Amino acid sequence: MDTSEREQYRATIHGDRDAFEMIIRTHSRTLFAIAYGILQNREEAEDVVQDSLVKAWKTRWRVRDPEKFPAWLCTIARHRAHDMIRKRRPVPFLHETIGTSETETVDATAMDQQLHSALAALPELHRAALTLRYFEEMDYRAIENTLGLTNGALRGILGRALASMRKQLRPALASMD
Amino acid sequence: MATIHDEIDNWLAADLYGELSENERSVLHAHLVDCVTCRKTHQETKTMNKILEETLAQEKPDPAFEQRMLAGFRNRIPQKSGLVKSLVDLMRLRSVQITAVAAILLALVQMGRMITGERATMPRSREGDANEELFRQQESQAAASGLGRAGSLDKSDEVAAGRSKDLALNAPPSSLPASRPDFHQLARMPSTPVAPAKVAQPEASAAGAFATSPDNLAQPEVAEQKPAETPAPASANRKLIRNATAELEIVSFDDAMQKITAFANEEHGYVATTNSQKQANGKLRGQVIVKILPENLDPFLQKLRGLGELKNQTLGTEDVTKAYFDTDARLKNAHVMEQRLIDMLNTKTGKVSDLLQVEKELGRVREEIEKMQGELKYWDSQVQFATVTISLAEKDMEEPAAFLLKERAQLSLYAPDVEKIYDQIKALASPKVQITNAQLNRDYSGRVSATMSMLIAPEESDAVIGRVKSFGRVENFQMQTQRIAQGGSGISENAKTKRDKVELNITVSRDEQEQALQQTSLRIRTSSVDEKAKELRALAEKQGGRVRSSTFNRDPDGRELANVWLRVPMKNYASLMQSLNSLGKVENASVQRQDHTGGQIDEANAPADVSIQVYSQGNIISHESGMFATLRRTLGQSAGAIMWSLRMIGVAVAFLAPWVIALTALIWITRRVIRAKR
Repeated sequence: MDTSEREQYRATIHGDRDAFEMIIRTHSRTLFAIAYGILQNREEAEDVVQDSLVKAWKTRWRVRDPEKFPAWLCTIARHRAHDMIRKRRPVPFLHETIGTSETETVDATAMDQQLHSALAALPELHRAALTLRYFEEMDYRAIENTLGLTNGALRGILGRALASMRKQLRPALASMD
Repeated sequence: MATIHDEIDNWLAADLYGELSENERSVLHAHLVDCVTCRKTHQETKTMNKILEETLAQEKPDPAFEQRMLAGFRNRIPQKSGLVKSLVDLMRLRSVQITAVAAILLALVQMGRMITGERATMPRSREGDANEELFRQQESQAAASGLGRAGSLDKSDEVAAGRSKDLALNAPPSSLPASRPDFHQLARMPSTPVAPAKVAQPEASAAGAFATSPDNLAQPEVAEQKPAETPAPASANRKLIRNATAELEIVSFDDAMQKITAFANEEHGYVATTNSQKQANGKLRGQVIVKILPENLDPFLQKLRGLGELKNQTLGTEDVTKAYFDTDARLKNAHVMEQRLIDMLNTKTGKVSDLLQVEKELGRVREEIEKMQGELKYWDSQVQFATVTISLAEKDMEEPAAFLLKERAQLSLYAPDVEKIYDQIKALASPKVQITNAQLNRDYSGRVSATMSMLIAPEESDAVIGRVKSFGRVENFQMQTQRIAQGGSGISENAKTKRDKVELNITVSRDEQEQALQQTSLRIRTSSVDEKAKELRALAEKQGGRVRSSTFNRDPDGRELANVWLRVPMKNYASLMQSLNSLGKVENASVQRQDHTGGQIDEANAPADVSIQVYSQGNIISHESGMFATLRRTLGQSAGAIMWSLRMIGVAVAFLAPWVIALTALIWITRRVIRAKR
């Protein structure tokens, strides 16, 4: 973390609005990736990001170390996303009902459905790592930092995530080839 | 170690995401060439990656996403208004925070002081300011009473005048404080003479003081040359009451009186009252009140100086113009009122009761008129003549007329029979020896003492005191001589010295009560305490001593202890001490001697106290010694010490707790407030 970034976080903690708006510009996509990884719904993810930002601004004084500010931001987003999931629990899962209607052809939409359900079957952490990778094209190190993982843990996580998805999608993949 | 084949998924993912090093990639590709399964997996993974990329690309947020987030944030958290924002910004500064904390602490301290009633120390004004203030005061004083002081020989006046001069020269004329009406008034008065000063300094100072007033720049010289010639045009309409007091020390009162009368006549005044008293030493002191025309007041005062030494002089002016003309106007109104009431009476209409009312009112108005007329007359008389009060005192006022030699003697006696001596002293009474007080006291324990006071004619005193001294043992004798000046103070060469009656105070006490000259305490260890104690008594009797008290006891451990207090005359002390050695082993002898500085004591007969403790060693170890007793005591003491320290900790906590709570609460509230503002 370079000094200007650090200064930005420090200023934010001390209530500098401009600094925080700068952080919104640079970090909201990361937050979105995390939220989407958990929720798999764009609207909800956007709401979560918005909520998280507001909440972060209101409780910014809780962060003592400016270094930890981005990680803290991600934590808020994750918790918010979980809250969201808990709220929508009663609603039946959308993808499965739609998925059964058109199964004859393996066209692009059907592939999408299968992919989504494969994603949905992954653990949250794996999903978040995947979205960060595909949305933001972050390298392993950055993803580990963002998700608060230990150094080198991501290699196994992404490997397992891809393997599990591959197993789920194998018939479809085979048909595509 | 896990092979690539086992972890193919991880390797493939890393390869896909560009996380493999050059070396690792070549190893992976080598394995893919060899292994069919892994090659298939690789193929599948690549396809899936493509699908994933394609699918998730649709889910990516659009380019306006950040803007939306920003707008939403701004919407939900509106910008603060100017004042609050600047306040909050200000609070963000470290220096401001430190200042705020310091201010709060200071406020707490001040509050504590106020609560505990301690007075906060007022910050003193700078030294320079204070001096300036002082100078200014002195200057105005010098200016106000400059005339009177000009010729004064008073040293301090010189200094003050010198200072005022300095300041007057330095200060620009416009800086003259406006609050000095006295100065202006006096300065403007043409009849004001500047005294022909005897000392150069005050003259200069007076001139300097005058120079401060711009419109009087040229005046000093004029006034100096021709004093008291032109009447005051400005004060013609003014009603000024001038008063002066002077205190003079003169050689002869009568001479001074004559001269004052002459001066008063010269200046067209008169002596109003005089009074004089003769002091015990034949000197006269008195007061003369002279009435004199105001314009002649200053020459008159000038002349007074020639009479003798001027101790003190004041000159005051009271302006009654306003009050005078007020009263005058009211008087005129009252006259008009009176006239109207008279007219009403003359027309004689209306009821009798109304007329009576008018009559009553007329009475009141007339009374008022008379009062006001009286007042005006009084003022007129006061204004017409200035009053000079002169206090005269002849020189050496304080010289004493005579000296009286007063002698006072204090005598303390010790005797075996107080009553006898009491009677003997009483028998001394004669016309020249008067007993003023005689008292015999016997307290509840049977101790007898007597106090007596007598007045003895001076010529008999030595003989009587000698007689009384011979009645008993003199413990203390003090003689005090005092020379009292009569009718004044200080030294006089021709005053007589007279011897007064001698006052003698005697206290007689029994010699039992006398404090011993020497006190000795010693211990004798022996096997048969009782027997030895008896022997001891016998020894004491033989040496002319008396046993004052004795005790004997035996404790449960078999120890015997006898205490004997003896009193022997000093001359027998040494032989008694020697004979004690025959009783047993003498231990711990301590001797304490009290020498009286008075010196007048009869040492051979002076009493010596001896306290002897005869004891035997017990056979049994007491309960209070031994291992268990020591252990018990030690434990008890340590428990006590722990309890004590616990209590102290409790006190400290109780003392600190309110502060800690208050500070914590304060910090908490502050943080809440700041948060709430944001």
